[in-house]
Amino acid sequence: MTTMVSADTLDISFPEVDYLALAPLLIVFGAACVGILLEAFLPRTRRYSAQLVLSVVGLVAALVTIVMNVGEDRPAFAMSDGSRVDAIVIDGPGLFLMGAIVAMGVIAVLLIAERRVSAGGAFVAHAAVAADSKADAAQARHPGATEVFPLTMFAIGGMMLFCVAGDLLTMFIALEAFSLPLYLLCGLARRRRLLSQEAAMKYFLLGAFASAFFIYGVALLYGYAGSVQLVDINAAIAASGNSQVLLLSGLAMLAVGLLFKAAAVPFHVWTPDVYTGAPTPVTALMAACTKVAAIGGLLRVFNVAFGNSGNPGGPSLAWDWRPILIAIAIATMVIGAILAVTQTDIKRLLAYSSIANAGYLLVGVIALGQALGATLFYLVAYGFTVLAAFAVVTLVRDSQGEATHLSRWAGLAKRSPRFAVIFTLLMLAFAGIPLTSGFAAKFAVFSSALEAGQTSLVIVGVLSSVILAFPYLKVVVLLWLSQPVEDAPAVSMPGFMTGTAVTVGVVFTVLLGLAPQVLLNIVDGAGQFLAK
Amino acid sequence: MTPTYYLVLAAALFTIGAVGVLVRRNAIVVFMCVELMLNAANLTLVTFSRINGTLDGQIMSFFVMVVAAAEVVIGLAIIMSIYRSRRSASVDDANLLKY
Amino acid sequence: MGTTYLASYSTLGFLLVLGVLVSIAAFAANRLLRTQAPSPAKQTTYECGLDPVGDGWAQMQIRYYVYAFLYALFAVESVFLFPWAVVYDRPGFGVTAAAEMGVFVAVLALGLAYAWRKGVLRWL
Repeated sequence: MTTMVSADTLDISFPEVDYLALAPLLIVFGAACVGILLEAFLPRTRRYSAQLVLSVVGLVAALVTIVMNVGEDRPAFAMSDGSRVDAIVIDGPGLFLMGAIVAMGVIAVLLIAERRVSAGGAFVAHAAVAADSKADAAQARHPGATEVFPLTMFAIGGMMLFCVAGDLLTMFIALEAFSLPLYLLCGLARRRRLLSQEAAMKYFLLGAFASAFFIYGVALLYGYAGSVQLVDINAAIAASGNSQVLLLSGLAMLAVGLLFKAAAVPFHVWTPDVYTGAPTPVTALMAACTKVAAIGGLLRVFNVAFGNSGNPGGPSLAWDWRPILIAIAIATMVIGAILAVTQTDIKRLLAYSSIANAGYLLVGVIALGQALGATLFYLVAYGFTVLAAFAVVTLVRDSQGEATHLSRWAGLAKRSPRFAVIFTLLMLAFAGIPLTSGFAAKFAVFSSALEAGQTSLVIVGVLSSVILAFPYLKVVVLLWLSQPVEDAPAVSMPGFMTGTAVTVGVVFTVLLGLAPQVLLNIVDGAGQFLAK
Repeated sequence: MTPTYYLVLAAALFTIGAVGVLVRRNAIVVFMCVELMLNAANLTLVTFSRINGTLDGQIMSFFVMVVAAAEVVIGLAIIMSIYRSRRSASVDDANLLKY
Repeated sequence: MGTTYLASYSTLGFLLVLGVLVSIAAFAANRLLRTQAPSPAKQTTYECGLDPVGDGWAQMQIRYYVYAFLYALFAVESVFLFPWAVVYDRPGFGVTAAAEMGVFVAVLALGLAYAWRKGVLRWL
């Protein structure tokens, strides 16, 4: 049964590399590396503007190369003997997911770069200084560390790679490439540093735990299929005589790792704490971009490897995993919605709403191919709204920094009606009121899940979104009808960058609500994942 | 010696690591348990590589080793910073974030 | 979705319930049978019979820690050199393979350059 292997007996040949297909990833990772160089060699005073320009230019260039790749449907590497190397697969949904991550990444970078709203920005100057020490008080005058820019770029690059990875090893590397910078970014808040460090530690320990499950699942699937390429696993499910135990336990462990990043119940416990403790711009990055990456990874794995999407009528493992995933989706929607009702802190509320939204996105994953386009639409609609919502959260401040407790938000409409109108619009979009992007997105996902025959799941989804509407409307009522507290926080004038983030988010929320067909056409044109 | 024994050993190591993460209180010990889980995955990969007669699994374990090293550096830096602020590395003491 | 389909999950459910019951029984038996005589000596760290002195977090020069980090990263990254060394002289690899390893090492050197500029490499 066992065979000794040596490199001499193996035929190893060099793959043809499609550099245009790799260009978006190379540009983002390259910009991150150049960012480190700038950090090392530029004088301190000039780093901030150089890093900001580099990050934004890098992301825009990546977006351009993504658009140049539209229409491609093949792996980025090709062997001369015709064998498959699926490390990176450039296909319609993959390009769309990468584009969504980069577009939202630009907005998140603008939020991260904002220094007008609070002096020095949201990030600590020297993370190594112990919190609440004398040195910590002294460093409060310094502007924030500019290392956050390369870290953000590495995270965004990792997320992009995660969405186009065609084998599980590349996926694991991408998972770590975006998780590790995020762990650090979570711990770099300028104010409430103990909370921030605690969030970083919780996220790190649980994230590392989840990725250990992921790689063990990969190892078991490798044992089952003899390969970690998604298409090979799909082929092995139809043909392999190996033990089903390896396959099913491997799939379960892989799913734990993926569902953790997507914040699905019962792997959601980190989300409220980390979203609350992390600096708000980083929370925005996680809520928008990480959600896209995690759901994008789930979509690809379950469609290509375990859903047999290349041959929808053929044998597939869907009968085995669907009941479990349905249970998880129902739990995620219901528990996320119910716990959101009880929250008193706006960041925690948005965290629980993000959990519930992971549930709606899982409905799209469970429905497989037919709901793929709708799920992609939902990711974009939710992402831009949540970016704008967190951008607004950064603006409501008192002397302690951001005032996130909801009681402090009472009656803010009287002092700053314009802010209240914007936040009300965003809340209505989250609640799924018609003519907003939230409604269009939920409608698209639920109707395509109905077509796929997931009636019970859709009923639970609709009911839970009714529950979830309640906390959002509670915030709206609080803003408009309550009496302001004595020392109510002020709504800062947004700087150019936060202003841009809010504007873009609101514009997308309205446009996708009024004319969803434009984007729906794009996601339909993206087609399916490359599966053969 | 059949390779199955290595798979069983790896599964046992993985379980010990997972239980350790769940029951230990010290962040560094928790983290060491995560590393044990990663190494269990490594052992599984190498064993399957031998069973399948392909080199992929061994190459994959290289990647896992490198990821584990990167995780050590990031993780210890985070735990160190929290220890310097609080003089405690117990995960139970980190309890400011709750509703 | 027939009854046999759901019945196949009942085994799993039974196993889960059984697992929970067994562990509850084990802990309950342990609680009933054990003697309880707590003393502070039992709470101390075991150090081969000696009483522990101070706490586990000894003071040490922070430089060791940063150096250890740098070493861990570079030592471990070098595992990629081994598979590369096996194939780089094969036909079709040559210059391209050397260039790719150059890029890889350059990325690592980038980290080293950053550490150097931040003053990590100076032993004070």
